Amino acid sequence: MSATATNTPRLERAYARLGVLLIAPTILVFSLVIVYPLLAAIYLSVFSIYTPTLQGNFVGADNYVKLLTGHEFWNSLGVTLVWTFGTLTLQIVFGVGMALLLHQNIWFRSLARSLVLFPYFLSTVVAVLVWRWLFNDLYGAMNHGLMQLGILDMPLDWLGSMPNAMIGVILVGAWKYFPFVVIAVLARLQTIPEHLYEAARIDGAGPVARFWDVTMPQLRNVLTVIILLRAIWDFKEFDLIYLLTGGGPVTSTQTLSLLVYQEAFGLNRMGQAAAYSVGMMLVMLVFMVLYIRRTGKES
Amino acid sequence: MTSKPFKTPAIPRRTVLAGLAAAGATAAMPMRLSAQEQITLRWWSPQSSPEQLAAYQTQIRNFEALHENVKVVFEKTSDEGYAPQLAAAFASGDVPNVVTHLPSFAVSNYWRNGLLAPFNDVIDMIGQDKFYPGANDIYEVDAGTYAGTSIGNSAANVIWLRTDLMEKAGIDKNPRTWDELLDACQKMQGGGIYGAALPYGRNSMTSLIFIGVIHQAGGQVFAPDLSVAIDSPETRDALEFYRAMREFCPPGATNYTWGDSLTAFVAGACATGIYTGRVLTNVAEQNPGIADHITCDLYPTKSVDIEPWTFNDFPSVMIPAQAPNMEATKQFAAFLFDPEGYIQQLHAAPGHVLPVLKSINDDPAYQDNPIIQKYSAEVELMSQAAANGFNLGWESRDHQPNTMAGEIVNSGVIAELVQRVILNDENVDQVLGETTARIEDIMAG
Repeated sequence: MSATATNTPRLERAYARLGVLLIAPTILVFSLVIVYPLLAAIYLSVFSIYTPTLQGNFVGADNYVKLLTGHEFWNSLGVTLVWTFGTLTLQIVFGVGMALLLHQNIWFRSLARSLVLFPYFLSTVVAVLVWRWLFNDLYGAMNHGLMQLGILDMPLDWLGSMPNAMIGVILVGAWKYFPFVVIAVLARLQTIPEHLYEAARIDGAGPVARFWDVTMPQLRNVLTVIILLRAIWDFKEFDLIYLLTGGGPVTSTQTLSLLVYQEAFGLNRMGQAAAYSVGMMLVMLVFMVLYIRRTGKES
Repeated sequence: MTSKPFKTPAIPRRTVLAGLAAAGATAAMPMRLSAQEQITLRWWSPQSSPEQLAAYQTQIRNFEALHENVKVVFEKTSDEGYAPQLAAAFASGDVPNVVTHLPSFAVSNYWRNGLLAPFNDVIDMIGQDKFYPGANDIYEVDAGTYAGTSIGNSAANVIWLRTDLMEKAGIDKNPRTWDELLDACQKMQGGGIYGAALPYGRNSMTSLIFIGVIHQAGGQVFAPDLSVAIDSPETRDALEFYRAMREFCPPGATNYTWGDSLTAFVAGACATGIYTGRVLTNVAEQNPGIADHITCDLYPTKSVDIEPWTFNDFPSVMIPAQAPNMEATKQFAAFLFDPEGYIQQLHAAPGHVLPVLKSINDDPAYQDNPIIQKYSAEVELMSQAAANGFNLGWESRDHQPNTMAGEIVNSGVIAELVQRVILNDENVDQVLGETTARIEDIMAG
């Protein structure tokens, strides 16, 4: 009895040590790839730093004062929100629609399910080159086709004027990333019990009612995760927008990621770029907390 | 007891020790040699057309043949991407050995921040007397020391003209003034052909071309003492001209970069173009039907009183100070001007990168090229214009070198000026005031 009493805490301590040992690699990797860059960004943000040398002076909160009082950050934040909301909405609509279609017993379903993933697997650089060619005013298929159909008299400036440029990047973003929604939603659709639809039919529900009352409630959880993930990824999207418009015309499509890039590498101001990055992270944090709270209440 | 007679050892102890030392040294020697054999030099350039890459390979092969312990690796960068790539390289210390074809103002900026090795040795290896007179002045940011040198010259804003369309429109001479150019564009536009291919995008091309237009109006971005001078009547005139030209450019010119503008002229979609001599190669390869109907000239100015101003980005050669194997690096940098490889490199895009060595320009091997021979007048015009050219890092012979020119171009502030006034129709006075403030802010560091 007394021996058991003595051994139990020892055993617990041994298990505790083993637990620490087992989790240590994860903590180490997490610290290296998340915590260190985060702290480094915060540290850099209070300096004025010339990017190529990473040398500079301590400037305290000056970079944050410029962030708060200048219009660049807020303008880019607005652009980022428009882009994120626009492309995410289209991704969800197209993604759910395509998943519903591919869930039906249609011809060449397997082939279609494979092909629909194509944009997602395509390199962004290649995709952008293709789209820039399609949008080209002189030899682009888009203008040529629309002019042949009589919809346009003259070629349209797709990427160099507003609002066309924003619409263009939103459309290309939706095309590139909607397959992610298709994959996730299709997987969930295949696990919805058929008897729920049978019960709904017996109750007289038509296709629309079955979609809203059976399918959508079943998709809610997976859509929550998709929206959360895609919102984060779209918010920090860089390459697609940079390659399509470079942030122009003027700064109409300059998202926060592009602003950070220009500040860090165009102007060689790494400190100010780090301050913008920290601001960007805080905005994402606020949205994530709000969203998680809301979805928590709903569930 | 018989004592053995003392015998001198066959191999004395000192000999043995000396032998051991020699053996040790011999054992160590292959390692030193081996280390020498493993020298790898990294060469970066944003100029990497297939023909240029082939020329680079010739230069690399020839150098490696002369230096068996050296391997040279070529790595591509780009006009829009070199700044972040080099920033990362400098910050990490993992730098290339030689960087070529960047504009001179990038070199002066890196030099001013202590990131480059002095280039005097390399210039001496090439031979000071072989360069065109004054060719290296732009790299003398600090008196007596060169930050780099030019690997060539370029005349980036000559006007390209379709002579067949001019003839059809009844235009008997190349436009010399803006009014003549506008008139010519109006006459030649139509039937699916636009008058011009000027850029209006938010990119470096728009910035660099518009800086030229300001000078063609008689203005300047900076005064010789580098105070900001962009807010001037001349800039307003330049904006008015650029706005007037907009109606003669394709709709997508609002997003044009160098490649788009070049293609628009080469494809035959525009009656005039603005580019370097790369037009010649591209027309020969991609649209030979117009090859007999193209010519180039200095870009028109506001009036005949104003001298043409040619933008030369002075494609450079520079060596990062942190580059390993400095001696071999300098030898390679100098070897880039070896006639065989250098001429092949220049022939890769005849007229695009023009020789910076007078000795090469006079070399029959350089002149022995079908494009250079066919367009000898155009190549000569570009050579002369480029030799007297300037850029934002050095706006005139009176100007101090501007080591912040790269940041100003990369910031897009001048391209945004064009877009805000011409595309967005914003108030010129307000935009110019804000542009001045932004440039001053960049200059302040």
